[in-house]
Amino acid sequence: MSLPTSVPVPDAFETRTNATFEALMWALSRPGTVQNLPAQGMAGIAEALLDRECRVFCDDPALAVQIATFGAARVDLPLADHCFLGLGRNIDRLAHVAVGSALYPDAGATVVAEAEFGAGQRLRLTGPGIETSDEIALGGIAPEFWAMRTAVCRYPAGFDLFLICGAQVIGLPRSITIEVL
Amino acid sequence: MTIAALTKPWQALSYGFLDASAKRELRRKMLKAIAVPGCQMPYASREVPMARGWGTGGLQVTLTLLRPSSVVKVIDQGADDSVNAASIRSFLSKVSGATETWDTTAATILQSRHRIPEERLRADQVLVLQVPNPEPLRPVEPNMSIARQMHADADYGRLWLILYEQIVRSGRVMQGAAYPSLVNGRHVMTPSPIPRWDVPKLHMAQHLTFLSAGREKRLYAVPPFTRVEPLVFSDIPYQVEDHAALTCHRSGLRGYFMNEIPQDDGSAQFELSDSHLGIKAIRQAEGSAVEIGPTWYENGKMPQ
Repeated sequence: MSLPTSVPVPDAFETRTNATFEALMWALSRPGTVQNLPAQGMAGIAEALLDRECRVFCDDPALAVQIATFGAARVDLPLADHCFLGLGRNIDRLAHVAVGSALYPDAGATVVAEAEFGAGQRLRLTGPGIETSDEIALGGIAPEFWAMRTAVCRYPAGFDLFLICGAQVIGLPRSITIEVL
Repeated sequence: MTIAALTKPWQALSYGFLDASAKRELRRKMLKAIAVPGCQMPYASREVPMARGWGTGGLQVTLTLLRPSSVVKVIDQGADDSVNAASIRSFLSKVSGATETWDTTAATILQSRHRIPEERLRADQVLVLQVPNPEPLRPVEPNMSIARQMHADADYGRLWLILYEQIVRSGRVMQGAAYPSLVNGRHVMTPSPIPRWDVPKLHMAQHLTFLSAGREKRLYAVPPFTRVEPLVFSDIPYQVEDHAALTCHRSGLRGYFMNEIPQDDGSAQFELSDSHLGIKAIRQAEGSAVEIGPTWYENGKMPQ
Protein backbone atom coordinates (compact mmCIF):
# COMPACT_ATOMS: atom_id res chain seq x y z
CA MET A 1 0.00 0.00 0.00
CA SER A 2 1.31 3.43 -0.85
CA LEU A 3 0.25 6.31 1.32
CA PRO A 4 -0.84 9.62 -0.18
CA THR A 5 1.98 12.15 -0.36
CA SER A 6 -0.16 15.14 0.62
CA VAL A 7 -1.14 15.67 4.25
CA PRO A 8 -4.64 14.31 4.84
CA VAL A 9 -7.22 16.82 6.00
CA PRO A 10 -10.22 15.78 8.09
CA ASP A 11 -13.62 16.72 6.69
CA ALA A 12 -16.24 18.53 8.78
CA PHE A 13 -17.83 15.25 9.88
CA GLU A 14 -14.53 13.81 11.11
CA THR A 15 -13.54 17.05 12.90
CA ARG A 16 -16.94 17.29 14.61
CA THR A 17 -17.19 13.66 15.74
CA ASN A 18 -13.55 13.62 16.89
CA ALA A 19 -14.09 16.75 19.01
CA THR A 20 -17.36 15.35 20.39
CA PHE A 21 -15.66 12.12 21.41
CA GLU A 22 -12.78 13.97 23.02
CA ALA A 23 -15.26 15.98 25.11
CA LEU A 24 -17.10 12.79 26.12
CA MET A 25 -13.82 11.01 26.92
CA TRP A 26 -12.59 13.78 29.24
CA ALA A 27 -16.08 14.22 30.73
CA LEU A 28 -16.12 10.57 31.74
CA SER A 29 -12.45 10.59 32.83
CA ARG A 30 -12.99 13.60 35.10
CA PRO A 31 -16.53 13.23 36.42
CA GLY A 32 -18.16 16.51 37.35
CA THR A 33 -16.03 18.72 35.11
CA VAL A 34 -17.81 20.59 32.34
CA GLN A 35 -16.50 19.85 28.83
CA ASN A 36 -17.41 21.71 25.66
CA LEU A 37 -19.06 19.94 22.74
CA PRO A 38 -18.63 21.33 19.22
CA ALA A 39 -22.43 21.61 18.79
CA GLN A 40 -25.52 21.97 20.94
CA GLY A 41 -27.73 19.08 21.92
CA MET A 42 -27.73 15.31 21.84
CA ALA A 43 -27.67 14.76 18.09
CA GLY A 44 -23.90 15.35 17.92
CA ILE A 45 -23.28 12.66 20.52
CA ALA A 46 -25.41 10.22 18.55
CA GLU A 47 -23.46 11.12 15.40
CA ALA A 48 -20.10 10.43 17.08
CA LEU A 49 -21.07 7.10 18.65
CA LEU A 50 -23.96 5.42 16.86
CA ASP A 51 -24.31 3.29 13.78
CA ARG A 52 -26.03 0.12 12.61
CA GLU A 53 -24.46 -1.92 15.40
CA CYS A 54 -26.40 0.04 18.07
CA ARG A 55 -29.85 -0.21 19.60
CA VAL A 56 -31.27 3.07 20.75
CA PHE A 57 -34.11 4.25 22.94
CA CYS A 58 -35.16 7.84 22.34
CA ASP A 59 -37.89 9.94 23.97
CA ASP A 60 -37.80 12.82 21.56
CA PRO A 61 -39.44 12.00 18.18
CA ALA A 62 -37.47 14.69 16.34
CA LEU A 63 -34.16 13.34 17.64
CA ALA A 64 -35.28 9.78 16.86
CA VAL A 65 -35.65 10.74 13.19
CA GLN A 66 -32.09 12.12 13.18
CA ILE A 67 -30.71 9.04 14.93
CA ALA A 68 -32.48 6.79 12.42
CA THR A 69 -30.30 8.30 9.68
CA PHE A 70 -27.22 6.91 11.46
CA GLY A 71 -28.70 3.42 11.10
CA ALA A 72 -29.25 2.53 14.76
CA ALA A 73 -32.28 0.37 15.55
CA ARG A 74 -34.99 1.94 17.69
CA VAL A 75 -35.91 -0.42 20.51
CA ASP A 76 -37.62 -0.49 23.90
CA LEU A 77 -35.72 0.83 26.90
CA PRO A 78 -34.49 -2.49 28.39
CA LEU A 79 -32.92 -3.53 25.05
CA ALA A 80 -31.17 -0.25 24.28
CA ASP A 81 -27.40 0.23 24.60
CA HIS A 82 -27.80 4.00 24.19
CA CYS A 83 -30.71 5.88 25.77
CA PHE A 84 -31.58 9.49 25.00
CA LEU A 85 -34.19 10.60 27.48
CA GLY A 86 -35.42 13.17 29.97
CA LEU A 87 -34.77 12.74 33.68
CA GLY A 88 -37.26 15.38 34.84
CA ARG A 89 -40.10 12.93 35.48
CA ASN A 90 -41.14 9.33 34.87
CA ILE A 91 -38.02 8.08 36.66
CA ASP A 92 -39.43 4.62 37.48
CA ARG A 93 -38.65 3.39 33.98
CA LEU A 94 -34.91 3.79 34.67
CA ALA A 95 -35.12 0.59 36.68
CA HIS A 96 -35.32 -1.10 33.27
CA VAL A 97 -32.23 0.49 31.70
CA ALA A 98 -29.68 -2.16 30.67
CA VAL A 99 -26.94 -2.32 33.33
CA GLY A 100 -25.06 -5.38 32.11
CA SER A 101 -23.71 -7.73 34.75
CA ALA A 102 -20.51 -8.41 36.65
CA LEU A 103 -19.77 -10.92 33.88
CA TYR A 104 -20.45 -8.42 31.06
CA PRO A 105 -20.06 -4.86 32.39
CA ASP A 106 -19.81 -3.55 28.82
CA ALA A 107 -23.51 -4.42 28.32
CA GLY A 108 -24.43 -1.49 30.59
CA ALA A 109 -26.13 1.32 28.67
CA THR A 110 -24.95 4.86 27.97
CA VAL A 111 -27.68 7.28 29.06
CA VAL A 112 -27.75 10.80 27.62
CA ALA A 113 -30.07 13.36 29.20
CA GLU A 114 -30.64 17.10 29.47
CA ALA A 115 -29.86 18.90 32.72
CA GLU A 116 -29.18 22.37 34.04
CA PHE A 117 -25.62 22.97 35.30
CA GLY A 118 -24.70 25.02 38.37
CA ALA A 119 -28.20 25.22 39.86
CA GLY A 120 -30.51 22.87 41.70
CA GLN A 121 -29.57 19.74 43.64
CA ARG A 122 -26.06 19.81 45.10
CA LEU A 123 -24.12 16.56 44.77
CA ARG A 124 -20.80 15.34 46.10
CA LEU A 125 -18.83 13.05 43.79
CA THR A 126 -16.07 10.65 44.81
CA GLY A 127 -14.34 7.90 42.90
CA PRO A 128 -12.05 7.33 39.91
CA GLY A 129 -11.23 10.55 38.06
CA ILE A 130 -11.68 12.74 41.15
CA GLU A 131 -8.64 13.40 43.31
CA THR A 132 -10.50 13.77 46.62
CA SER A 133 -14.09 14.84 46.17
CA ASP A 134 -15.94 17.29 43.99
CA GLU A 135 -19.22 19.16 44.40
CA ILE A 136 -21.55 20.01 41.55
CA ALA A 137 -25.12 21.29 41.29
CA LEU A 138 -27.55 19.89 38.74
CA GLY A 139 -31.07 21.05 37.96
CA GLY A 140 -33.88 19.58 35.89
CA ILE A 141 -33.45 16.07 37.29
CA ALA A 142 -36.13 14.44 39.44
CA PRO A 143 -34.90 14.15 43.07
CA GLU A 144 -35.64 10.43 43.25
CA PHE A 145 -33.27 9.76 40.32
CA TRP A 146 -30.12 9.66 42.47
CA ALA A 147 -31.44 6.97 44.83
CA MET A 148 -32.63 5.05 41.76
CA ARG A 149 -29.14 5.25 40.23
CA THR A 150 -27.50 3.98 43.41
CA ALA A 151 -29.97 1.08 43.59
CA VAL A 152 -29.56 0.10 39.93
CA CYS A 153 -25.79 0.54 39.49
CA ARG A 154 -24.25 -2.35 41.38
CA TYR A 155 -20.64 -1.85 40.29
CA PRO A 156 -19.22 -3.12 37.91
CA ALA A 157 -22.74 -3.36 36.46
CA GLY A 158 -24.48 -0.06 35.86
CA PHE A 159 -25.15 2.65 33.32
CA ASP A 160 -23.03 5.65 32.42
CA LEU A 161 -24.61 9.06 32.32
CA PHE A 162 -23.88 12.06 30.09
CA LEU A 163 -25.72 15.24 31.03
CA ILE A 164 -26.09 17.90 28.37
CA CYS A 165 -26.68 21.61 28.88
CA GLY A 166 -26.56 23.44 25.54
CA ALA A 167 -23.12 22.66 24.13
CA GLN A 168 -21.72 21.51 27.46
CA VAL A 169 -21.48 18.02 28.88
CA ILE A 170 -20.86 16.43 32.29
CA GLY A 171 -20.07 12.71 32.51
CA LEU A 172 -21.05 10.56 35.48
CA PRO A 173 -19.69 7.04 35.03
CA ARG A 174 -21.01 4.11 37.04
CA SER A 175 -17.71 3.90 38.93
CA ILE A 176 -18.25 7.05 41.00
CA THR A 177 -20.28 7.47 44.18
CA ILE A 178 -22.78 10.32 44.19
CA GLU A 179 -23.88 11.72 47.51
CA VAL A 180 -26.97 13.93 47.59
CA LEU A 181 -26.27 16.95 49.81
CA MET B 1 -34.60 10.01 2.55
CA THR B 2 -32.53 9.93 -0.63
CA ILE B 3 -29.75 7.66 -1.78
CA ALA B 4 -27.41 10.67 -1.80
CA ALA B 5 -28.08 11.25 1.91
CA LEU B 6 -26.83 7.74 2.68
CA THR B 7 -23.54 8.04 0.85
CA LYS B 8 -20.37 10.05 1.33
CA PRO B 9 -18.04 11.66 -1.19
CA TRP B 10 -15.28 9.33 -2.39
CA GLN B 11 -12.00 9.50 -0.47
CA ALA B 12 -8.70 7.80 -1.28
CA LEU B 13 -8.10 7.15 2.42
CA SER B 14 -10.14 7.80 5.53
CA TYR B 15 -8.65 10.47 7.75
CA GLY B 16 -6.56 8.69 10.36
CA PHE B 17 -6.63 5.47 8.31
CA LEU B 18 -9.52 3.83 10.23
CA ASP B 19 -12.94 4.23 8.65
CA ALA B 20 -15.72 6.02 10.51
CA SER B 21 -17.49 2.85 11.67
CA ALA B 22 -14.27 1.43 13.15
CA LYS B 23 -13.71 4.69 15.02
CA ARG B 24 -17.27 4.75 16.37
CA GLU B 25 -16.90 1.19 17.68
CA LEU B 26 -13.61 2.08 19.36
CA ARG B 27 -15.11 5.23 20.84
CA ARG B 28 -18.00 3.29 22.38
CA LYS B 29 -15.63 0.73 23.87
CA MET B 30 -13.14 3.38 25.09
CA LEU B 31 -15.96 5.13 26.98
CA LYS B 32 -17.01 1.83 28.60
CA ALA B 33 -13.37 1.12 29.46
CA ILE B 34 -13.11 4.48 31.28
CA ALA B 35 -16.40 3.83 33.10
CA VAL B 36 -15.13 0.50 34.49
CA PRO B 37 -11.41 1.09 35.17
CA GLY B 38 -9.19 -1.93 34.62
CA CYS B 39 -11.97 -4.09 33.16
CA GLN B 40 -11.16 -5.58 29.75
CA MET B 41 -13.66 -4.56 27.07
CA PRO B 42 -13.82 -6.61 23.87
CA TYR B 43 -13.59 -4.73 20.57
CA ALA B 44 -13.41 -5.63 16.91
CA SER B 45 -9.72 -4.82 16.27
CA ARG B 46 -9.68 -3.94 12.57
CA GLU B 47 -6.93 -4.63 10.12
CA VAL B 48 -4.13 -2.07 10.10
CA PRO B 49 -1.05 -2.22 7.88
CA MET B 50 0.98 -3.92 10.58
CA ALA B 51 1.06 -7.47 11.92
CA ARG B 52 -1.03 -8.24 14.98
CA GLY B 53 1.19 -8.32 18.03
CA TRP B 54 3.31 -5.36 16.93
CA GLY B 55 1.23 -2.67 18.55
CA THR B 56 -1.98 -2.77 16.49
CA GLY B 57 -4.12 -2.30 19.60
CA GLY B 58 -2.34 0.85 20.67
CA LEU B 59 -2.27 2.03 17.06
CA GLN B 60 -6.06 1.79 16.72
CA VAL B 61 -6.67 3.76 19.92
CA THR B 62 -4.19 6.43 18.81
CA LEU B 63 -5.72 6.63 15.33
CA THR B 64 -9.15 7.18 16.89
CA LEU B 65 -7.84 10.08 18.99
CA LEU B 66 -5.70 11.77 16.34
CA ARG B 67 -6.47 15.20 14.90
CA PRO B 68 -4.23 17.56 12.90
CA SER B 69 -3.27 19.47 16.07
CA SER B 70 -2.13 16.31 17.90
CA VAL B 71 1.53 15.87 18.82
CA VAL B 72 2.53 12.22 18.99
CA LYS B 73 5.42 10.50 20.71
CA VAL B 74 5.94 6.78 20.20
CA ILE B 75 8.42 4.79 22.28
CA ASP B 76 9.54 1.19 22.24
CA GLN B 77 11.25 0.07 25.47
CA GLY B 78 11.88 3.74 26.24
CA ALA B 79 13.50 4.54 22.89
CA ASP B 80 12.04 6.89 20.28
CA ASP B 81 14.39 5.73 17.54
CA SER B 82 13.81 1.98 17.41
CA VAL B 83 12.41 0.64 14.13
CA ASN B 84 8.99 -0.21 15.58
CA ALA B 85 8.54 3.18 17.27
CA ALA B 86 9.84 5.20 14.31
CA SER B 87 7.63 3.32 11.84
CA ILE B 88 4.49 3.71 13.94
CA ARG B 89 5.20 7.40 14.51
CA SER B 90 5.77 8.13 10.84
CA PHE B 91 2.63 6.17 9.91
CA LEU B 92 0.57 8.16 12.43
CA SER B 93 1.77 11.50 11.08
CA LYS B 94 1.32 10.43 7.44
CA VAL B 95 -2.32 9.43 7.85
CA SER B 96 -3.33 12.31 10.12
CA GLY B 97 -1.03 15.27 9.58
CA ALA B 98 -0.19 15.18 13.30
CA THR B 99 3.16 16.51 14.48
CA GLU B 100 5.85 14.03 15.52
CA THR B 101 7.92 14.59 18.63
CA TRP B 102 10.43 12.80 20.84
CA ASP B 103 9.78 15.15 23.74
CA THR B 104 7.52 13.77 26.48
CA THR B 105 6.49 17.23 27.64
CA ALA B 106 5.51 18.37 24.11
CA ALA B 107 3.34 15.36 23.25
CA THR B 108 -0.45 15.22 23.53
CA ILE B 109 -0.67 11.48 22.79
CA LEU B 110 2.07 9.05 23.85
CA GLN B 111 1.97 5.55 22.46
CA SER B 112 4.30 3.23 24.25
CA ARG B 113 5.53 -0.30 24.28
CA HIS B 114 6.79 -1.50 27.66
CA ARG B 115 7.73 1.80 29.34
CA ILE B 116 6.15 4.90 30.84
CA PRO B 117 8.39 7.97 30.34
CA GLU B 118 10.31 9.24 33.37
CA GLU B 119 8.94 12.77 33.06
CA ARG B 120 5.56 13.26 34.71
CA LEU B 121 2.58 13.22 32.36
CA ARG B 122 0.16 16.12 32.62
CA ALA B 123 -3.63 16.21 32.87
CA ASP B 124 -4.03 16.96 29.15
CA GLN B 125 -1.93 14.00 27.97
CA VAL B 126 -3.13 10.56 26.95
CA LEU B 127 -0.88 7.52 27.35
CA VAL B 128 -1.63 4.58 25.06
CA LEU B 129 0.07 1.34 26.05
CA GLN B 130 0.43 -1.58 23.64
CA VAL B 131 -0.53 -4.81 25.37
CA PRO B 132 0.52 -8.27 24.18
CA ASN B 133 -1.47 -10.25 26.76
CA PRO B 134 -4.29 -8.36 28.50
CA GLU B 135 -5.42 -11.24 30.73
CA PRO B 136 -3.69 -11.28 34.15
CA LEU B 137 -5.36 -14.62 34.91
CA ARG B 138 -3.94 -16.44 31.87
CA PRO B 139 -1.02 -18.04 33.75
CA VAL B 140 -3.46 -19.53 36.24
CA GLU B 141 -6.53 -20.07 34.06
CA PRO B 142 -6.11 -20.64 30.31
CA ASN B 143 -9.88 -20.93 29.71
CA MET B 144 -11.02 -17.38 29.06
CA SER B 145 -14.68 -18.06 29.86
CA ILE B 146 -13.67 -19.21 33.33
CA ALA B 147 -11.27 -16.27 33.63
CA ARG B 148 -14.16 -13.93 32.83
CA GLN B 149 -16.19 -15.54 35.62
CA MET B 150 -13.23 -15.10 37.97
CA HIS B 151 -13.09 -11.37 37.11
CA ALA B 152 -16.85 -11.15 37.73
CA ASP B 153 -16.38 -12.77 41.15
CA ALA B 154 -13.20 -10.77 41.90
CA ASP B 155 -11.67 -14.21 42.47
CA TYR B 156 -7.97 -13.32 42.33
CA GLY B 157 -6.59 -15.67 44.99
CA ARG B 158 -4.55 -17.66 42.49
CA LEU B 159 -2.60 -14.54 41.49
CA TRP B 160 -1.40 -14.21 45.07
CA LEU B 161 -0.54 -17.90 44.92
CA ILE B 162 1.84 -17.24 42.00
CA LEU B 163 3.57 -14.51 44.01
CA TYR B 164 3.69 -16.78 47.06
CA GLU B 165 5.27 -19.60 45.06
CA GLN B 166 7.88 -17.19 43.68
CA ILE B 167 8.77 -16.08 47.20
CA VAL B 168 9.00 -19.69 48.41
CA ARG B 169 11.17 -20.75 45.45
CA SER B 170 13.38 -17.70 45.07
CA GLY B 171 13.09 -15.71 48.24
CA ARG B 172 11.52 -12.74 46.50
CA VAL B 173 8.82 -11.84 43.99
CA MET B 174 10.27 -12.70 40.58
CA GLN B 175 7.53 -11.01 38.50
CA GLY B 176 9.66 -8.57 36.49
CA ALA B 177 7.17 -7.01 34.11
CA ALA B 178 3.38 -6.91 33.71
CA TYR B 179 2.98 -6.95 37.49
CA PRO B 180 -0.72 -7.69 38.28
CA SER B 181 -2.32 -4.63 39.83
CA LEU B 182 -5.70 -3.97 41.40
CA VAL B 183 -7.48 -1.05 39.75
CA ASN B 184 -10.07 0.99 41.65
CA GLY B 185 -10.16 -1.78 44.26
CA ARG B 186 -12.13 -4.07 41.95
CA HIS B 187 -10.48 -5.41 38.75
CA VAL B 188 -6.98 -6.83 38.50
CA MET B 189 -5.28 -5.77 35.29
CA THR B 190 -1.93 -6.42 33.74
CA PRO B 191 -0.34 -3.00 33.22
CA SER B 192 1.26 -4.33 29.97
CA PRO B 193 4.90 -5.49 30.23
CA ILE B 194 6.16 -2.29 31.88
CA PRO B 195 8.80 -2.92 34.56
CA ARG B 196 7.83 -2.82 38.22
CA TRP B 197 9.54 0.60 38.24
CA ASP B 198 6.70 2.08 36.14
CA VAL B 199 3.61 0.64 37.84
CA PRO B 200 3.45 3.29 40.64
CA LYS B 201 3.31 5.96 37.91
CA LEU B 202 -0.23 4.82 37.07
CA HIS B 203 -1.47 5.21 40.65
CA MET B 204 -3.53 8.42 41.14
CA ALA B 205 -1.92 9.88 38.01
CA GLN B 206 -2.92 13.13 36.32
CA HIS B 207 -3.14 11.62 32.85
CA LEU B 208 -5.53 9.18 31.18
CA THR B 209 -4.15 5.76 30.19
CA PHE B 210 -5.55 3.39 27.59
CA LEU B 211 -4.21 -0.15 27.33
CA SER B 212 -5.11 -1.93 24.14
CA ALA B 213 -4.38 -5.43 22.85
CA GLY B 214 -4.99 -5.68 19.11
CA ARG B 215 -4.31 -9.39 18.73
CA GLU B 216 -6.45 -10.28 21.74
CA LYS B 217 -9.09 -7.69 20.78
CA ARG B 218 -9.52 -6.18 24.22
CA LEU B 219 -8.93 -2.73 25.64
CA TYR B 220 -9.05 -1.27 29.12
CA ALA B 221 -8.30 2.06 30.72
CA VAL B 222 -6.97 3.73 33.84
CA PRO B 223 -8.66 7.13 34.24
CA PRO B 224 -6.87 9.97 36.06
CA PHE B 225 -6.86 9.77 39.86
CA THR B 226 -7.59 6.05 39.96
CA ARG B 227 -6.05 3.72 42.51
CA VAL B 228 -3.64 1.22 40.93
CA GLU B 229 -2.24 -1.07 43.61
CA PRO B 230 0.23 -3.84 42.78
CA LEU B 231 -0.76 -7.12 44.46
CA VAL B 232 1.42 -7.59 47.53
CA PHE B 233 1.43 -9.34 50.87
CA SER B 234 1.06 -7.09 53.89
CA ASP B 235 4.43 -8.24 55.29
CA ILE B 236 6.32 -8.13 51.95
CA PRO B 237 6.20 -4.65 50.42
CA TYR B 238 6.19 -3.91 46.69
CA GLN B 239 9.73 -3.43 45.43
CA VAL B 240 10.77 -1.68 42.26
CA GLU B 241 13.96 -2.61 40.42
CA ASP B 242 17.13 -1.69 42.30
CA HIS B 243 18.16 1.06 39.88
CA ALA B 244 18.18 4.06 42.21
CA ALA B 245 21.98 4.03 42.62
CA LEU B 246 22.87 3.40 38.95
CA THR B 247 24.39 6.15 36.82
CA CYS B 248 23.91 6.50 33.07
CA HIS B 249 27.36 6.33 31.43
CA ARG B 250 26.32 8.64 28.60
CA SER B 251 24.26 11.37 30.25
CA GLY B 252 25.47 11.08 33.85
CA LEU B 253 21.88 11.02 35.14
CA ARG B 254 21.20 8.92 38.20
CA GLY B 255 18.12 7.40 39.79
CA TYR B 256 16.10 6.34 36.75
CA PHE B 257 15.35 3.04 35.05
CA MET B 258 18.47 1.83 33.22
CA ASN B 259 19.36 -0.57 30.42
CA GLU B 260 22.27 -2.83 31.25
CA ILE B 261 24.96 -2.94 28.55
CA PRO B 262 27.28 -5.95 29.05
CA GLN B 263 30.96 -5.19 28.44
CA ASP B 264 33.71 -7.43 26.99
CA ASP B 265 35.45 -7.73 30.35
CA GLY B 266 32.34 -9.16 32.00
CA SER B 267 31.34 -5.96 33.73
CA ALA B 268 28.31 -3.88 32.78
CA GLN B 269 27.59 -0.29 31.95
CA PHE B 270 24.21 1.35 32.29
CA GLU B 271 22.33 3.81 30.14
CA LEU B 272 18.96 5.49 30.56
CA SER B 273 16.06 3.45 29.22
CA ASP B 274 14.07 6.64 28.56
CA SER B 275 16.34 7.66 25.67
CA HIS B 276 15.02 11.18 25.14
CA LEU B 277 15.51 12.06 28.80
CA GLY B 278 19.15 11.12 28.25
CA ILE B 279 19.34 13.24 25.10
CA LYS B 280 17.88 16.20 26.99
CA ALA B 281 20.40 15.78 29.82
CA ILE B 282 23.33 15.61 27.37
CA ARG B 283 22.12 18.73 25.51
CA GLN B 284 21.65 20.53 28.80
CA ALA B 285 25.20 19.64 29.83
CA GLU B 286 26.41 21.01 26.47
CA GLY B 287 24.78 24.33 27.29
CA SER B 288 21.61 24.19 25.17
CA ALA B 289 18.45 25.67 26.60
CA VAL B 290 16.64 22.38 27.12
CA GLU B 291 14.03 21.99 29.81
CA ILE B 292 13.68 18.66 31.60
CA GLY B 293 10.17 18.36 33.03
CA PRO B 294 9.46 17.21 36.59
CA THR B 295 10.04 13.48 36.89
CA TRP B 296 8.05 10.84 38.77
CA TYR B 297 11.09 9.50 40.56
CA GLU B 298 13.19 11.99 42.49
CA ASN B 299 16.68 10.87 43.55
CA GLY B 300 15.69 7.32 42.68
CA LYS B 301 12.61 7.37 44.90
CA MET B 302 8.93 7.72 44.12
CA PRO B 303 7.49 10.37 46.48
CA GLN B 304 4.56 8.94 48.43
